[in-house]
Amino acid sequence: MLEARHVTFSYDGIQPVLRSIDLTLQRGETLLITGPTGSGKSTLAKFLCGFIPRIVRGECSGVLSIDGDDADSLTLTEIARKVSLVQQDPESQICTLTVSDEVAFGPENYLIKPEVMTRLVDSSLASIGSSHLAGRLTYALSGGEKQRVVIASMLACQPDYLILDEPSSSLDQKGILQLGQILSELKKKNLGVICIEHHLEPFLPAADRVLSLSEGRLFPWAQDVGRRGGPFQNHSVLPIETDALASMKNVSFAYADRPVIRRVTMAIHRGEVIALMGDNGSGKTTLLCLLDGLLNPLEGEICLGANSVKRLSKKDIAKKVAMVFQNPNNQIFERTVSREQLLTLDVLGLKESRLTENSGARLDEAGLAEFKDRNPFALSHGQKRRLNVCSAVVHDPDLYLFDEPFIGQDERGQRFITNTIAERARTGGACVVATHDLPFAAEYCSRLVFLENGSLLFDGRPESVFHRLEQTGRPEYSLGKVAS
Amino acid sequence: MKLCALVSIAVATIVYPSWRLSAIVLLSILVCFRLSHVPLRLTKGRMKFILTFAALMLLLQIIVIENGSILFYLLPQIGSLGPFFPVTDFGIERGLDIVVRFLLIIFSSILFVSITDPTLLAYSLVRIGIPYRYAFSLVLALRFLPLFDSENNIVRMAQQSRGISLEVGSIHKILRSVRYTFFPLLVSALSRVDSLSLSMTGRGFGYSDKRTYLRITHWSPSDWAILAISVIFTIFCFILALGLLPQVSRFL
Repeated sequence: MLEARHVTFSYDGIQPVLRSIDLTLQRGETLLITGPTGSGKSTLAKFLCGFIPRIVRGECSGVLSIDGDDADSLTLTEIARKVSLVQQDPESQICTLTVSDEVAFGPENYLIKPEVMTRLVDSSLASIGSSHLAGRLTYALSGGEKQRVVIASMLACQPDYLILDEPSSSLDQKGILQLGQILSELKKKNLGVICIEHHLEPFLPAADRVLSLSEGRLFPWAQDVGRRGGPFQNHSVLPIETDALASMKNVSFAYADRPVIRRVTMAIHRGEVIALMGDNGSGKTTLLCLLDGLLNPLEGEICLGANSVKRLSKKDIAKKVAMVFQNPNNQIFERTVSREQLLTLDVLGLKESRLTENSGARLDEAGLAEFKDRNPFALSHGQKRRLNVCSAVVHDPDLYLFDEPFIGQDERGQRFITNTIAERARTGGACVVATHDLPFAAEYCSRLVFLENGSLLFDGRPESVFHRLEQTGRPEYSLGKVAS
Repeated sequence: MKLCALVSIAVATIVYPSWRLSAIVLLSILVCFRLSHVPLRLTKGRMKFILTFAALMLLLQIIVIENGSILFYLLPQIGSLGPFFPVTDFGIERGLDIVVRFLLIIFSSILFVSITDPTLLAYSLVRIGIPYRYAFSLVLALRFLPLFDSENNIVRMAQQSRGISLEVGSIHKILRSVRYTFFPLLVSALSRVDSLSLSMTGRGFGYSDKRTYLRITHWSPSDWAILAISVIFTIFCFILALGLLPQVSRFL
């Protein structure tokens, strides 16, 4: 049994992140833990693996015991042999160049003989349905594939307890359903599993218990009524105009020799909220970058209003289009939250009092007003994402392009971002949101564009696209999953 | 073995600067490219740059060096002007010396990188006594280089999408441009270092002074043969350089 008693932890010695936590996990048990961003979930995971207080510094009290042994009497590697942690970002956890080397990394350190290791690598990859990845190069994998390789590499260490920190964040719909099945399989293998998640639905069938961590304390979880405070009333108050806000005609794009977007034609009208969906690697991010004029198409034409993107300057495009990328750290430039928020107004010479006033209100709405003099890089992941949204849309451009904005967001964050999107559509702009979030697409979007291998497969009202996806053998996108 | 051969070629070409000998080795390297099915794309960007650079170096040497017997002038005498830029046999020889050796080192390195699995190279370094913690940093560097390259692109795109253009008008603007690019990359890299170190420690990196390996290189008789040839070649070049074999060095 993995047991934590009276655990209190603070990074700075002043603000406690965990407050007197008691937690037990039996072998063969699956426990889900949810809670708002910044509530201490990842910190708890690091404590349960012994990284706190051994590697991560802070003020810590409480006892961790593993199968009856006090963790204080064990070395970090002795704990690591029993408890493994899969962290949030799979990209940062891969340290070798090929998948089989990566899965073998742990066993190699534990001096497992090569012949045993070969079997271990094969069985670990097979247990997560990824045997076909064995010979691949790690840096060429998609986000979902990387996530699976990281889980396999932890399983190859043969731990008794496995902790997964937001494992669904880089997975597509198919990957999330597979992960739910993997959790059930791990349970059969008598592994104790803790899965930290914002989106509980796909994992509930495998779970024995669900706990909620809030303000550093654990509570039994109670099902919420709605994640974003109910759907917004009307998809488009304004009648959709025939003149497109933005359009693409027969657009194709390739990275080196690899085609990513194939002859896509679509128009975006005022008042629309478009969900851009598709499996990992289907070209969603590339399509957004093309619309923002950040990549030049190999063929075809992209227009903003009546003007070709090619003929517009970067600043002209920036005035009309806001883009939020996936990694929050790649799009923060200034030294304080408020300067970061006002940077675009500065650069574009739009320092009107109305926009500056609005920006303060938006920061408040995002729950970031109290941090306005803080260094933005010191914010939590979820807070940085909200700041990214605030600072990208500060000048009220017509078109918002958001790439997976809901990753790592708790209810409050999701509500803020959804409201921002809804407000833009209601006031005559449009939004394109690349997302794996089925409920968002079903409840809040007026249109769903589905990409497959860079081609536009379906385009229409969400319910009809979901229906057609189900009919064409993609049960992972069925609306039944959304309802459940 | 491949590393030994590469080092041997590099040392030998530096010790005995002869374009004839280097050309012979360069030809055999090009044959090796064909044998190992590594495509030599002479017209593609990087290769084009290397070849143009080599041609410029040759031209520069020919123009600058005026010693030796004059073969012809680049700019012949026109009326009372000129002639300018004499081309001498010594100039051509020096130019070829430098260019052929430059190409030899570049091509042999490209061949080495193309046919060597860096992971196996790192593990081989461990076997010759380098602690695995240090050898592994080679693998880590290669693992994260493509990632930093793509992050750099994303940061640039994020700047463009916000309307930020990198300006170099004044020191203040240069500093701001550097900060806008450097900070996001640095913060992203540092956060990755944290999770990477937890991930590696969590899988027992440092558990023991030794490690086992899933894949290991085997030293075959042909490796011994190549090693022997490399050593003999290096010694041969040293002997030539010291002038101990005047009858051979006359031809090379």
